[in-house]
Amino acid sequence: MNIQDFINFLVYGTAIFLIIGGLYAVLTKKYLTKIVIGLSIMDAGINLLLIAIGYTYKGTAPIFSPAVEGKTVTMVDPVPQALVLTAIVIGFGVTAVALSLVIRLYRHHNTLCIDNIKNLKW
Amino acid sequence: MVISPIHYVAIPLLVAFLIPLVAKIGKNWARILPGLTLAYLNFVSVYLMTKVQETGIISESVGGWDAPVGINLVFSPLSGLLVSLITGIGFLVWLYSYQFKNVEKNESQKYFTLLLMLITGANGVILTGDIFNMFVFMEITAISAYALTAFYRHRNGAEAAFKYLLIGSLASTFMLLAIMLLYAQVGTLNMADIASKMDQVSSGMKVTIFILFLTGFGIEAEMFPLNGWAPDAYTEAPGPIGAVFASAVVKAGVYAMARVVFTLFGYGDSPVEILIIMGVITMAIAEFSAFRQEKLKRMLAYSSIGQMGLVIAAFGLGTKAGVFAALFIMVNHALIKSLLFLSGTYMVYHSKEKLIAELNGMAKELPVTAALFAFGALAIAGFPPFSGFWSKVYFLIAAADQKMVFLIIMVLLVTTVEVLYYFKVINRMYFHKPEMELEYRRPSTNALISMFVLTAVILWISFFPDTVMGYIDAAANDLVNRAGYINLVLNR
Repeated sequence: MNIQDFINFLVYGTAIFLIIGGLYAVLTKKYLTKIVIGLSIMDAGINLLLIAIGYTYKGTAPIFSPAVEGKTVTMVDPVPQALVLTAIVIGFGVTAVALSLVIRLYRHHNTLCIDNIKNLKW
Repeated sequence: MVISPIHYVAIPLLVAFLIPLVAKIGKNWARILPGLTLAYLNFVSVYLMTKVQETGIISESVGGWDAPVGINLVFSPLSGLLVSLITGIGFLVWLYSYQFKNVEKNESQKYFTLLLMLITGANGVILTGDIFNMFVFMEITAISAYALTAFYRHRNGAEAAFKYLLIGSLASTFMLLAIMLLYAQVGTLNMADIASKMDQVSSGMKVTIFILFLTGFGIEAEMFPLNGWAPDAYTEAPGPIGAVFASAVVKAGVYAMARVVFTLFGYGDSPVEILIIMGVITMAIAEFSAFRQEKLKRMLAYSSIGQMGLVIAAFGLGTKAGVFAALFIMVNHALIKSLLFLSGTYMVYHSKEKLIAELNGMAKELPVTAALFAFGALAIAGFPPFSGFWSKVYFLIAAADQKMVFLIIMVLLVTTVEVLYYFKVINRMYFHKPEMELEYRRPSTNALISMFVLTAVILWISFFPDTVMGYIDAAANDLVNRAGYINLVLNR
């Protein structure tokens, strides 16, 4: 296995591990805060996967400067990076809303365990 | 100022954040300004809908970069129809909520800000020509919908909203995953560009991406088994927001799904079995659940899911007739379900449990509201000659063209169940004696006006269906004509 494959394997593996781990936390954990943490981990995994898709081995930053003018240079794909910035902001917004809902639920029920919050059918 | 599709997104977004500022000048402005905005957007709808009939699809690139590189908005007969529907109902909901929301306690500021954000998001999902942009707008819609679900502190809103948020975040994760895989395959985010390069993608990858998209949009479109959020969210959100959910959030989800199936993947040439199967299961389970419900809004929510199942199955037929029926049902459902939510809200306003059993004898106390609710119930269940009947007839004709006997039997069966549970409510309102002191609230004048406008529109569609069918037909053509969309957006 050469270094390039190894990097790919490592990054993609980590990303998928984070997504699966986050999903597992969301689906099985009983405490609201842990569920929110699971969501954040899942977001992080997705963002890493996005970056990995845009990565080129030994690519430089996709900026046009005098240093690269007139030369053929390998650059990483800038589009996924722009998408990740947007996705991070969205993930931040969702986490903020989720936490504010958790606070509301805690004040109402005095617990964070979903077994005790059952006014609606789950 | 030149009128362009960008106004649908930019102006409500701007006004939503101006509301807290103008409220400093005068409290009343916080609720007048959203109304002016939505009225202006309705004017834009009328202007652009006439223009699109003359000149064809309007593709507007944002920020000066042309289609495959930059983000573009596409105002086609299809997106125009849905956007006009959403802004129209948005305006009526504003009129309805005008006195509903207390100006002094700043409640109306938050409410109208979130309402405008939701409409921005739904309009954006429908207008955009860029798949990642669609994801972003879907998130704007979803986040404002979560917040609106938790709007009332004394209800179980936070619980319903958290549930919705959990499922919604999973939806967005799947959507983003699908978009990424697609980008890795074709290297572009523009929907028309993706569609033209779709044959480069291997079939296994195609199926994976398709299933991820279906799961992601299926959650917003209330497709079974991803619709667990809907009954709770509809029940716990403020009454008029139920109407907005049914007409904006869900419509955006269904539109996105149809766009992906027809334009992106080009699956529309033959029946899409998975959509038909999921649609039939969705509508069967939802309508039978609706029959069992004891709470009015829960019943309406399940009825809404059932109608969406019908729409998904109709899109699955893949023919132009099927798409036409699906769009017709969508238009009818948006109008009629809004009327049911708006009138139903007043009947259970002060009741704590909001049970159907508490409606006994309501027709004597609130004759107008009860009559409007009964009218809506008849119309959505598909009584001739009301508009729900026409859309179901077109659906059955489209299914018969494809010789889908099982589908026709299921739709008829489900319609019978629908009639039964709506009659249960009408029966209680008109023919039962009240058992206790009725608790209700008299509708304000604004609310009555908005309900009457909806009724008038529904009656108009019922008796002169030809007048709207032209628009729906153009919209169906737009969705089926994949090559036309690609060529127009990419300027070939």
